[in-house]
Amino acid sequence: MESNTEEILRTERLTYEYQPGSPALRELSISISQGEKIAVMGSNGAGKSTFFLNLNGVLLPTEGTIFYRGKRIGKKDLNDLRKHVGFVFQDADNQIIASSVQAEVAFGPVNLKLPKGEIEKRVTRALEYMDLLEYRERPPHYLSGGEKKRVSIADIIAMKPEVILFDEPTAALDPLSGDMLEEVLDKLSGEGKTLLISTHDVDFAYRWAQRILVFDKGGLIADSNTLEVFRQEEVLKRAHLKKPQMLTVYETLLRKNLIRPDSYPRQAKELAETLM
Amino acid sequence: MKLQNFRRPRRHRQFHGTGSMDYYAAQSELRNWNGSYKVIAACMVLLLCLILNQLEISVTVIVSMGIVNIWGNQVSFRDYAGFLKIPMAFLLLGSGVIAFGISKYPLGDFRISLHWRYLCISDEGIRQALELFFKSMGAVSTMYFLALSTPAGELAGILRKAHVPKVVVELMHMIYRFIFILTKVQGNMKAAAVSRLGYVDFKTSCRSFGQTGGNLFLLSLRKANTYYDAMVSRGYEGELVFWEEEKPVKLWQVGILAMYAAGLVFLYFWVK
Repeated sequence: MESNTEEILRTERLTYEYQPGSPALRELSISISQGEKIAVMGSNGAGKSTFFLNLNGVLLPTEGTIFYRGKRIGKKDLNDLRKHVGFVFQDADNQIIASSVQAEVAFGPVNLKLPKGEIEKRVTRALEYMDLLEYRERPPHYLSGGEKKRVSIADIIAMKPEVILFDEPTAALDPLSGDMLEEVLDKLSGEGKTLLISTHDVDFAYRWAQRILVFDKGGLIADSNTLEVFRQEEVLKRAHLKKPQMLTVYETLLRKNLIRPDSYPRQAKELAETLM
Repeated sequence: MKLQNFRRPRRHRQFHGTGSMDYYAAQSELRNWNGSYKVIAACMVLLLCLILNQLEISVTVIVSMGIVNIWGNQVSFRDYAGFLKIPMAFLLLGSGVIAFGISKYPLGDFRISLHWRYLCISDEGIRQALELFFKSMGAVSTMYFLALSTPAGELAGILRKAHVPKVVVELMHMIYRFIFILTKVQGNMKAAAVSRLGYVDFKTSCRSFGQTGGNLFLLSLRKANTYYDAMVSRGYEGELVFWEEEKPVKLWQVGILAMYAAGLVFLYFWVK
């Protein structure tokens, strides 16, 4: 996607193999600019999580390179990547480690070796951000699923990364928590954070993302803006994706000359406004 | 801090559910007191109870610790009685034995003849057994005070400050967290097995239990891997450090402890 903002992350022929001979990621060359809202799609096992683990510096690419702000990330710079790129895991229970919410949120900042006052400030801010202040001292095992998810996001916010990766954040959330998540995402992009979200929810992706990466069997089969991707029937078929409801509605209305051409509403409210 | 909006259905008491010791420690009114202070206070009362070794002291400790646990730690009377029941059963049996003696000759104040031996009980033996029982119960209540007011994670932090080896403290943290994850997973797996009639009779139950255990083992290995990834992703570099909130000791708290200890010593001399 053409963009005049600064490039923040770039992968060059990134390949990752869990076992030799069967690559989970095949030669991915992707450039990500600051402030982008990217949805990463593809069926289970297509390589989305592996891609994220590589971008986050948890896994070291088998071949190829990752550049962060133009700097080549070698074996010794992985911690740089971990510092600037945050990763919210799919299952909060696999991420939460401390025995109270505030100690949990402070885990990242403590590892960043920040001074005590700064840690405290960041924890309070992250808890405020996720509306978790009253849960401060609770042990995480007495929280509900949605609350745990919020804690796992606060974990990352407290580290103040520039890029945040979300692995299927909408899975297993009730509608209320889902709405809240979208609010938080909007707030984060408002602050200029670069967001990558892996999801199976095409309607969410259509509503939220500017750009979509589609993975299939470890390879990238589409990388362009949201509308273009969803109009490529071939790509949708290969990745087993459905067309977003809103797009189907739009196309039907367009056939019947009921809507302004090229308006492409993303949300129900926009749809109502563009109806003729 | 009291956690009012903790959902707390009145259920059968479980080890890790609501109503467990961990649950109470998390919502105790004394949670915000300094952890080291609580450990020192508990040890001090424990030592006084053991060293002064007097029935009246022991009873005072049992009653006062009971009050602290029920009012301070917000433990319901029923649950507290439940907590005390288990050690009480052991101690009753254990100290009961001390009151009895077996002898060839008719000794003691009361005796039962068993053919060529006597089962004898003396006043002194009974007194000794009672003293031991109450002393142990006093010690148990004191330890309950600590367990019901200080969550395990915080306790691990105090051990770290006391220079217990890092590995032990880190393991303590991890085990504590994993207990809850694994019991939850185990609970889900058991429910799934029950729903497919996996627990209809004894034989099936044994098999299902075994399979659940095996699965749990494999699952914990896998979970350990994801966990490690998640930790690395947040900058873990081989040393597990947790942030601890500073809870300064207040003068009046030290005052209470000093007064309580002085009261026990005074009682000791007064009774003597």
